[in-house]
Amino acid sequence: MAEHPVGQGTIALQQCHSRHASVSNDTRHDGSSGTYLPVEGCFIMATVTFDHATRIYPGTERPAVDALNLHIEDGEFLVLVGPSGCGKSTSLRMLAGLEDVNGGHIFIGERDVTDVQPKDRDIAMVFQNYALYPHMSVADNMGFALKIAGTPKAEIRQRVEEAAKILDLTEYLDRKPKALSGGQRQRVAMGRAIVRQPQVFLMDEPLSNLDAKLRVQTRTQIASLQRRLGVTTVYVTHDQTEALTMGDRIAVLNAGILQQVGTPREMYDKPANVFVAGFIGSPAMNIGTFTVTNGSVQVGAATLPIDRTIASNLDSNRVTLGFRPESLDVVDASTAGAFHVEVNLVEELGSDAYVYGSLKDDVATDLHAGSTDQLIVRINPRHVPEKGEIISVAIKPGQQHVFSATSGERLS
Amino acid sequence: MSVAPTSDLSIAPHVRRRKSSSDSFRGGSPLIYGIALVVVAVTLGPVIYGVLGGFRTNAQLAATPAGLPSPWVLDNYLGVLANPAFWQYTWNSVAVAMITTAAVVVFGTMAAYPLARYEFKGREALYMVFVLGLLFPAAVAIVPLFILITQNFGLGNTWLGVALPQAAFALPTTVIILRPFLMAIPKELEEAALLDGASRIGFFWRILLPLSGPGMVTVGVLAFVGSWNAYLLPLLLLQGENKTLPLGVADFSSEHSSDTAGVFAFTTLAMIPALIFFLAMQKRIVNGLQGAVKG
Repeated sequence: MAEHPVGQGTIALQQCHSRHASVSNDTRHDGSSGTYLPVEGCFIMATVTFDHATRIYPGTERPAVDALNLHIEDGEFLVLVGPSGCGKSTSLRMLAGLEDVNGGHIFIGERDVTDVQPKDRDIAMVFQNYALYPHMSVADNMGFALKIAGTPKAEIRQRVEEAAKILDLTEYLDRKPKALSGGQRQRVAMGRAIVRQPQVFLMDEPLSNLDAKLRVQTRTQIASLQRRLGVTTVYVTHDQTEALTMGDRIAVLNAGILQQVGTPREMYDKPANVFVAGFIGSPAMNIGTFTVTNGSVQVGAATLPIDRTIASNLDSNRVTLGFRPESLDVVDASTAGAFHVEVNLVEELGSDAYVYGSLKDDVATDLHAGSTDQLIVRINPRHVPEKGEIISVAIKPGQQHVFSATSGERLS
Repeated sequence: MSVAPTSDLSIAPHVRRRKSSSDSFRGGSPLIYGIALVVVAVTLGPVIYGVLGGFRTNAQLAATPAGLPSPWVLDNYLGVLANPAFWQYTWNSVAVAMITTAAVVVFGTMAAYPLARYEFKGREALYMVFVLGLLFPAAVAIVPLFILITQNFGLGNTWLGVALPQAAFALPTTVIILRPFLMAIPKELEEAALLDGASRIGFFWRILLPLSGPGMVTVGVLAFVGSWNAYLLPLLLLQGENKTLPLGVADFSSEHSSDTAGVFAFTTLAMIPALIFFLAMQKRIVNGLQGAVKG
């Protein structure tokens, strides 16, 4: 550890290691378990910084990750989210050292780890398929890293047992992974990361092999565990609901390019561009591109004014307008700003109901939500319209998002 | 009404699957049984004839070549078992087979590991070299091999001298069986091990080797049986008291060419160890050929 450049993180690291050494030397039997308890133990806090990190796979032209700039605070839970192939997993693997970095740098704390071996980065990773060692018991799986590091057996046992207690795995410690359920395997994978007490946790879609119900349960468990341990965590998922519910901040990637970073609330309320607007939120935002005439756009039967400053600064005469399903109110047909929607389908979820419909009086615009070709409206689940019925809706004031039709950037 | 079709759908595949599997067990045309019987008769016939022949006297054999033993005679088998030369041959065979097997498993795994899991230039070409080894009959190389072993290495008439070339000739099969086996071990396991602080060699010893047990048993058994049955190489390299069982059988049958029943008994006893070994390991060989770990 001594060869690291001097920085706060490094000093903390050294102190921590020396404390460990002294404890493990003279307290084999006095049960000073508290020292190792991850909750109060010596997790070294660390920031993570991507500085123009770029990854180009051999034989391809387009970078899988293109000049990623991202700073993750100490103890923060950052979720990398995006559609498949957007480079989120690659970014994580670059941080883990499993992928080469072709340009830029990656820092953990003050330390440049761009060319550091994975094992020397002081990180732990949870894989999508858990990657448990099939021939080892749960305890051996969790203690493997410590064993390789040459930690004394008694200490390994102690730390494994403490992690097992946190994760409710105590009774399974002697089992092989084969004899565990999916959820238990997932927890073992988490345990393997916790036991190491790393500077950074990396999680690569750790929930996607679980069934829907367990996924929701485990989601909250992981999030609260992370808050308890306070370890910087980078979490990759393609599921925007997971991202919104778990992350302190979310980073949305698309085609290798970082689209926006922010808190879940910011991402939802102020998407920086059309892609983020369409990606974050479930059901998806209704988005359409309209021609601006006399400072307003024609949505079905409604004429909606566009903010004057925006309208005067347009680079073309078209804008992209977005509004969420819950930003629509069902109103009288005669209300100003109301447009009409023919109900094709009603999706009832108990607490909510969503109308999937098509815009009436359409002037050949393509207004739809996400991958559906329909408009989605949230309605009162107690007053559900019939199929084929025509309802009138209006956008709640101030809840429309305006994007440039050419660049897709946010204008409002 | 809307419930009925869905429940139908969910049950239907079960029923169908069960029916089809039991069909395949119950059914099978007489033709297939006929062909199977012929194959069994052709492969097992000579073996059974040899085993039974060992229980007869030469007089019985001369009178009714295809008859059953009557009365059953144990003298031939007892005679072979009392023959110290038989035990010497057996011991040599066991030793050579063990050395061959050990060498094949150790070196085969070590060769297959980088070919399966390292990305480097010319990997496929190197693999092709091993595949081509399959096409290379030992008989072609036998003379240079003889010179190499006896004169250069000074290993003529030793167990090692036979075992090493045998292991070398078994390497292609070994690598070809082990490579897909090692490739099937998930990449994430290796990455997890790397993150846990293991080096690539550490991964090999701590994760890969324990997981490739079934594959190693497979290639080990194949190498063992191959070595047990080998004739040409031992014939050229081994003399006198270092001879293996196949050579012993040949010697015995030329020495006692008139004692047909004795030759039958000797041959039968010579194949029994390999047979038992193969049968005992059969299940694990199939496991090994089926592929590596899941999950």
